[in-house]
This record gives sequence, structure tokens and C-alpha cells, in this order.
Amino acid sequence: MRALSIAATGMQAQQTNVEVIANNLANMNTTAFKQQRAEFTDLLYQNIQTPGSQTSDQGTYAPNGIQLGAGVRTAAVYRVTTQGDLQSTSNPYDVAIQGPGFFRIQQADGTDAYTRSGNFSLSPQGQLVTQDGLVVQPGVAIPQNTLSVSINAQGQVNATIAGNTTPQTVGQLELTRFPNEAGLNAVGNNLYLETPASGSPQAGVPGSAGYGKLQQGFLETSNVNSVDQITALISAQRAYEMNSKVISAADQMLQQTSQMGQ
Amino acid sequence: MDNSLLVSLSQQLAAFRAMDVIANNLANVSTPGFKREASKFEEYIAHVRPAEDQKGPQTVSFVKDAGVLRDSIQGNIERTGATYDLALTSKGYFQIQTPAGMRYTRDGHFSLDANGNLVNSDGYAVQGDGGGITIAPIDGDINIAPDGTVSSVVNGVGNQLGKVKVVDFANDSALTKLGANLYSTSQQPTEPASVNMHQGALESSNVQPVIEISHMIEVMRAYEATATLSKSQEDLMRQAITQLGTQPN
Repeated sequence: MRALSIAATGMQAQQTNVEVIANNLANMNTTAFKQQRAEFTDLLYQNIQTPGSQTSDQGTYAPNGIQLGAGVRTAAVYRVTTQGDLQSTSNPYDVAIQGPGFFRIQQADGTDAYTRSGNFSLSPQGQLVTQDGLVVQPGVAIPQNTLSVSINAQGQVNATIAGNTTPQTVGQLELTRFPNEAGLNAVGNNLYLETPASGSPQAGVPGSAGYGKLQQGFLETSNVNSVDQITALISAQRAYEMNSKVISAADQMLQQTSQMGQ
Repeated sequence: MDNSLLVSLSQQLAAFRAMDVIANNLANVSTPGFKREASKFEEYIAHVRPAEDQKGPQTVSFVKDAGVLRDSIQGNIERTGATYDLALTSKGYFQIQTPAGMRYTRDGHFSLDANGNLVNSDGYAVQGDGGGITIAPIDGDINIAPDGTVSSVVNGVGNQLGKVKVVDFANDSALTKLGANLYSTSQQPTEPASVNMHQGALESSNVQPVIEISHMIEVMRAYEATATLSKSQEDLMRQAITQLGTQPN
């Protein structure tokens, strides 16, 4: 009886769905987190009678066939890359991206990673680094005895140094874009890696065509909508329940079968 | 006498099949663009030898599969917020180019590949009016109009990038399902009278759990009834054998 295994695929799919929702809700307060969605597709079909098969030699055709499905599978868990809200933090090294693009970060092994989470700090050497101490690329060094730092929408970092009335430009932040942002590989710690699916990185100046603007003193919140997630959770739970009902119905039918010869 | 068991058997096989179709509907309750299916059965009349005291030809009816019908009613529109998710609210299908030929789908979850081509979740190119649709990162915010026109505004200048193609068919129900939300057909696609799609949303499955569950109960009870029938038939046989087989003293 196929119904048993079909319903099992349905339960597995809903389990994945609940896991994705749980992760979204857990990351509700993660800076620049992008909510994910599970996408499902139907499995292969077994053709008992192919649609359009001939029913006589007079050229009459069956208007519809008999195709039995085998259930459902998860096709993708994709990231919805809409903009999160901007939250004021008043921290001079917090930088939010308003619009598309990623900051480029150099990982400990020298390779590049990308993030939208702009909660930066200074390293002991005065370098702009992430909360894990990874250097923001291209490097920005804030000189000692700096009184205040301003980062404008175009990514220019200006520092006012003690004894100097005019601010000096000490660095320029860049943004990176990918042909397919959804194809980036999320590796945790708010970092993403380039993949063959994402395409190659294209660096640009913030605020130029196609790139987002920077906003100093703000952080991008996660774009998780809790109401959406809770309703999705309810429907996933109900769908799971219904699939389990199919299993118990199929089980009852099989039970009847086994009792037939008694 | 044997016929009643065989007729019951044909009904039981039909019930199994109906259950499989219901299970597949319920498993796909969250599959975008999925259309619910219903199994349809027909009578198969067989002629049997008339019983001793009856005149004329005798017939019995078996149950036989006639088809699995697809209910192509519009599914609900579910907002996702993703730029390249398209919900089709008019008749028709998106056209997808696969290595095995042209395929059709109502699942409008699309994204870009590494070269900026608009593709479906298996990476096959979504067809526009003139082949594939390519979007460069520089294009900025992408807007997809209800008629499928893909455009962007760069430096205040509107820029049309292509138009998502929607096709229709004379006979919807003769499309062959291939899994992965794709259909194939040998029919020639036709131009739909009107096209209407929504960006940032998906058409959800049109499976209605209430209907499926009530069908499921119906099938289950019908199976149960037939199983009981077979059992009484079997009891009759057993009785006949015990009574007739007893040696008269």
C-alpha cells in the first residue's frame, strides 16, 4: 500500500518546514538575519495510463490519464532577502546596509566571507573588525587619539583626530554584490560564503547604482515576521497531523485485510 | 459464487488506489502550484454463466480505474516577499526550458543563477518572450508587472529586461505530471487571453484538507464494508462445505 509511504513523505516535509520555522524564530533578534522558507515539490509519478493515450483505432483519446503520485520532497530552503528594519544603536561602529550588498570580511584562514551584519568594533591595532575579530575588507585603521569617527552613506570613513579640526579620510568601506544572493552558503556567525550558484562577487561603492547605502549608528534587524512564522507553524503542525491520519487510516485498512481470512 | 469475492477484490484494490491519491494530495498540501487530484472509477461489466434457475445472460460489475482527474481550480495566494516569487492568478503555465525539452509549471518560485539568469528551483531557465531572462546585479530593484514584464529603474531611467512568458493549453487535464512541479505535453501551447501574476507571492496548493480527510474516511469505511462482505461470503462458503461435506450416517 503506497498511501503509507506517501503520507510518510508528507510528514517528513512538514518536519523540515517546522525546523525552518524554528530556526527563523530563534533568529528573530539576530542582526541582519534573513528568514528562510522551505519549498516543496511533488515526487515522481507512476503512469498507469498516460494522459492522451488512444482508446480506440478511431482516434479517440482518454481525456485524462491515471498517474499516481509518490508524495512530496523538499526542493529548496531559500532565503528571503528583503530588507530588515533599521534599529538605532548610537554606536559609531555599527553600520547598517540599506539596500543590496554585503560587507567583505577576511576569515582567519585568509579567505573571504560576506555579511550584512554591521556590528563592528575596533581591534587592539585600531582595525575595524567584526565581533569575532575578523578584519573588515578593505581594511580601515582608525588612528590613535581619534575623537570621533563618521561613516557616510557612501562608505567613506572620516576621523577627527585630537589637535586637528578637519576630519581626515581614513578608509573607504565597500559593498559586494552577487548575481544570485540566495545562492550564498550560510556558514553561521552571520557569515556567507561564495558558491558556484551565487556567481562571482562584484565590489562597488555604497550608494552607487545597484548598491545599498550605509547608515552609521544603526543595525539591520532580522526580517523575520513573527506573525507570519507562527501562522506557518500552525499550518505545518496541522498538515503533519493530517498526514499521520492518513497513516492510521491506511493501517486500519491493512488490518481489515489481514483479518479477512480468519 | 467466486464472483462475489472477485468483485469485492476489485473494489478493495480501487479503495487502495483512492487512498494513494488522497495520501498524495495531503502530502502535497504545502507544495506551491500543486493541483489536487481525484480518482475516478468505472464499471466493468462481465458476463457470467447464468445460475440454474435463472434465464438470460447474467452480468456482474467490477470496479475499474477510469482516470485520475486534476482539479485545476486556483490555489490561494500566499505572500513570501521574495523578489522572484511569482503567483499566477490567471489560467496558464510558466514555461521552463529543461535539457529534456520544454516543461510547464504553476510553481512560480524562481531565483537567479550564478550568471543572473532567472531559473526555477532545479536551475532550469524560465522562458521569457525571447528566450531566457537575465538580470544583472546593477539593475537594482526588480519589478515584475502583472502581465509578466520585468523591469528595473537605474539612475531614474526605466529599463525593460524581458517578459515572463505564460502559455495555456486546449486540454489542461491531458498534461503529463513529471514530479518536481513540472508538466510536459505534446500539445501546442496557445496564447492565454489574459495574464495576471503577483510578485512576491506563490500560489499555494489547492488541496482542501477537509475534503481530503472526509474522502479518506469514506474510502476507509467502504473498504471496511467490503471486507465484511467478503467475510460473510467466506462464512457462507465454510458453512456450505461443513454442511454438505458431512457424511450422512
